[in-house]
Amino acid sequence: MVLLLGFFFLPVVLTSVFAFTNMSTATGISGGSYVVTGNLLRSLKDEGLDAKTIDALGQSSYVIDQAGLEKAHAAGVDARFITEIAERLKDRSFTSSTAFERELKTLPSRPTRVRDLKIAAGAFEQSVLNVRYASRGEMEAALTHMLENPPEGAIEKVATASYTGWTWTTENFKNLVITPDTWRIIGNTVFYVVLTLAFNVLVGLFLAITTFYLPPAGSGFFSVLWLLPRITPVVLYAVMWKWFTWEDGFVFNIAQDLGLPAFNYMKGSVASAWTVVILVNGFVGASFGMILFSGALKAIPVQQLWASEVDGASRWQQIRYIILPHMRWPILFVTSYQTLSLLSSYEQIWLTTNGGPGSTTTVWALEAFKTALNNYTGNLQYGLGAAMALILVAVGLILSIVYLRLFRFDEMMSKPKIEF
Amino acid sequence: MTVLPRFKSAILATALLASTATFAMAKDVTISVWAGGTGPTNDYRIEAIKMAADVVSRQAKIRGEDLTIKIESQTWTGWDDFKQAVTLAAESGKAPNIIVSGHEDIGPWSQSGLLRPIEDYVDFDAWPLNQLYPNLIDVSSYDGRIWGIPQDAEARPFFFSKAHLKAIGYSDADIEALPAKVESGEYTLYSMLDDAKKMQDAKVVEPGKGFMPRPNNGTDYWQFYQSFGGEMADAESGKLVLDRQALTGMYQFFVDAVEKGVVPATYLGTTWDTWHQAVAGDKAGIWHGGTWHKAEWEAKWGLKDFFGQMQYSLIPAGNEKGRANTITHPLVYLLSTGGSDEDATLAAELITTASEPYINALHAVKSGHLAIGSAEASIPFYANDRWTTAATEGLLPKANAIPNNSDFGVVWKAMYKGLETSWTRTNSVADAVKAVETEVRNALGDKIVIR
Repeated sequence: MVLLLGFFFLPVVLTSVFAFTNMSTATGISGGSYVVTGNLLRSLKDEGLDAKTIDALGQSSYVIDQAGLEKAHAAGVDARFITEIAERLKDRSFTSSTAFERELKTLPSRPTRVRDLKIAAGAFEQSVLNVRYASRGEMEAALTHMLENPPEGAIEKVATASYTGWTWTTENFKNLVITPDTWRIIGNTVFYVVLTLAFNVLVGLFLAITTFYLPPAGSGFFSVLWLLPRITPVVLYAVMWKWFTWEDGFVFNIAQDLGLPAFNYMKGSVASAWTVVILVNGFVGASFGMILFSGALKAIPVQQLWASEVDGASRWQQIRYIILPHMRWPILFVTSYQTLSLLSSYEQIWLTTNGGPGSTTTVWALEAFKTALNNYTGNLQYGLGAAMALILVAVGLILSIVYLRLFRFDEMMSKPKIEF
Repeated sequence: MTVLPRFKSAILATALLASTATFAMAKDVTISVWAGGTGPTNDYRIEAIKMAADVVSRQAKIRGEDLTIKIESQTWTGWDDFKQAVTLAAESGKAPNIIVSGHEDIGPWSQSGLLRPIEDYVDFDAWPLNQLYPNLIDVSSYDGRIWGIPQDAEARPFFFSKAHLKAIGYSDADIEALPAKVESGEYTLYSMLDDAKKMQDAKVVEPGKGFMPRPNNGTDYWQFYQSFGGEMADAESGKLVLDRQALTGMYQFFVDAVEKGVVPATYLGTTWDTWHQAVAGDKAGIWHGGTWHKAEWEAKWGLKDFFGQMQYSLIPAGNEKGRANTITHPLVYLLSTGGSDEDATLAAELITTASEPYINALHAVKSGHLAIGSAEASIPFYANDRWTTAATEGLLPKANAIPNNSDFGVVWKAMYKGLETSWTRTNSVADAVKAVETEVRNALGDKIVIR
């Protein structure tokens, strides 16, 4: 039960949670902190925060007072150095870290390491600018300390705006609906799923039936051969397709010899890229269909086939009137299972065309993966990607229900009418 | 127990204690460095840190400390996987001490608390950091703080095949004068398309190889946006900017290039190997790349006579609103928040030492990158290298950088997606621009100015 919860439900639950956040590389996943930065002050100014508060928050000064000396002591600054600071610089103030550090460097007991000098200087800093506070309470306390008579609500406003972490939102879904690209990717996904599914089922069925009629030794050989796409590691399988379709690859050379257009068939044209994507996934799915269909074929009472032969039925008539009616449930199962599996599959596309040329073969699952976890700019939008994944989960659930209804699985699973 | 064994035990215990005391004095520290975009020609991104570790250990020994620094390094040739690895490692508390990445990552990574501001660990008033070019320090800064130390600089020029230019009637003098014509705006991107077409018509290059742009996403494409007058950020307010007119000009240019037949509609996504093979093997007419590519072409793709085979210039202007330009995209050494403050202090010391001109020049010359500081540019090893000097003097002063802004990635992703859809004619140019506008407006609201 724990395993079921951990591995099955938890990812769905987390996806659902992430989908309603603006989580990204910039906000981080594990929560943020509170920082007032120059950019934040500029945007607060645009939002109408009063100039006095903005000025006060933007100021940074270094004051050599008793509190600073104590802070320096607590930070582990060398006692002799603290004494020299107290003796020579007490009650002075500096407006920039550079000026203060230059002054510190003139003291005889200055530390040799730059970091130690910076730690010493930092103890005297009186500013909230660029200081990271772990909690809202600490930020509010610092703001209260810095601001004299702030306008009402100013502290809350600054504290809220200074949060660097993620917040709850439904914007991801809204953005997906508004963005025109969404519809293009949906179109790609439907095209990919329908064609690949048709290939899976039809070729799987064809293979199962043809191997059924072959002598056992031959059928075994062909079954194993057709299983290769499924049992080959996916990366190796993709690399083999690259060799097959790439410039100077197998298809390229054959095409060249035949005087046909020779180019990189995987990426060189939209039509050939789609063909490759559908075939790459189609062969994997076809072998799955073949196994199931072959098993189902073996369950057909062989007497029915013998009887049909006595009646003079042709092979086609056997298939049409005996085999296919028996295959109804396996076909429905493969159709529904493969629809769901294709909807969420992207790894073969990622490893072959990578959604190209351009983004013409990009499907929903690949786009979600790239948005959330893998893109050139490193801008990982976990929230938006999770929203895309959640939509996929919802579509999968709806389709499952539709299939269950449409194909009346409950009928298939009903109690046998004959009692043994 | 007799006295003797007791005595022996005491001696043994003393010896053991003494050995642990010696052990305590010796200090072993492991510093991890991860670098993206790093192949065989730019291994000095990591090697420089190893050399610095040696120098810092020797300095420690002279001071009487026994410090052993072990450098654990990991490199990625691309960016997608590298950035994913850094981000996720940081989220799980396993970030490396030093990260070598593009400066544009400073925005999001500093906001998420992944980085320590390096200005808290190093002294920019002292050698060798006091001789770094100020514009590179600016590129390594964000929101008023310096977060990284520039590791290299570069320019991204246009390249022309001299042989193919001659085949369409250019004289040696014309070829020599070409960079100046590009810079003045007389020779535009559209003049370039005409030349690329002429090369194809003259059958000196194959159809579709007249113009070979970068085959995938990269900073380079922002150059074309600038060629049509686009600005990435507002100079005064620092706000991100999306210029619809410039974006339209840029997308239309690539559509026009496709229509002219000098680049295929399905070009984006071509492999780097195909591109290198074509451009270094003089099979392409005109293309654009980076200053560092020269080193790769010579090391791996058989280029023998760079200056004899290729002419280079800025990226030409696209129209009268734009300008000839080039973008520098410095990589920076960044300090992560992973590890202890003590480790970060040592890591910062290593980065500082690795920025020593003699050490950094090894990377610059080997990889075809440009100097990070004035002292480095005057080191004979660097100054006597014709290409680095030519690029430093001719291209770098005209280069600008993409903005450091935590939201720039959103705009970049949308811009490239729009380029892909218009280039492949999945969308019209107007629809592609509209899609970019909608996407960035939804995602960023008033954080971006749309013109």
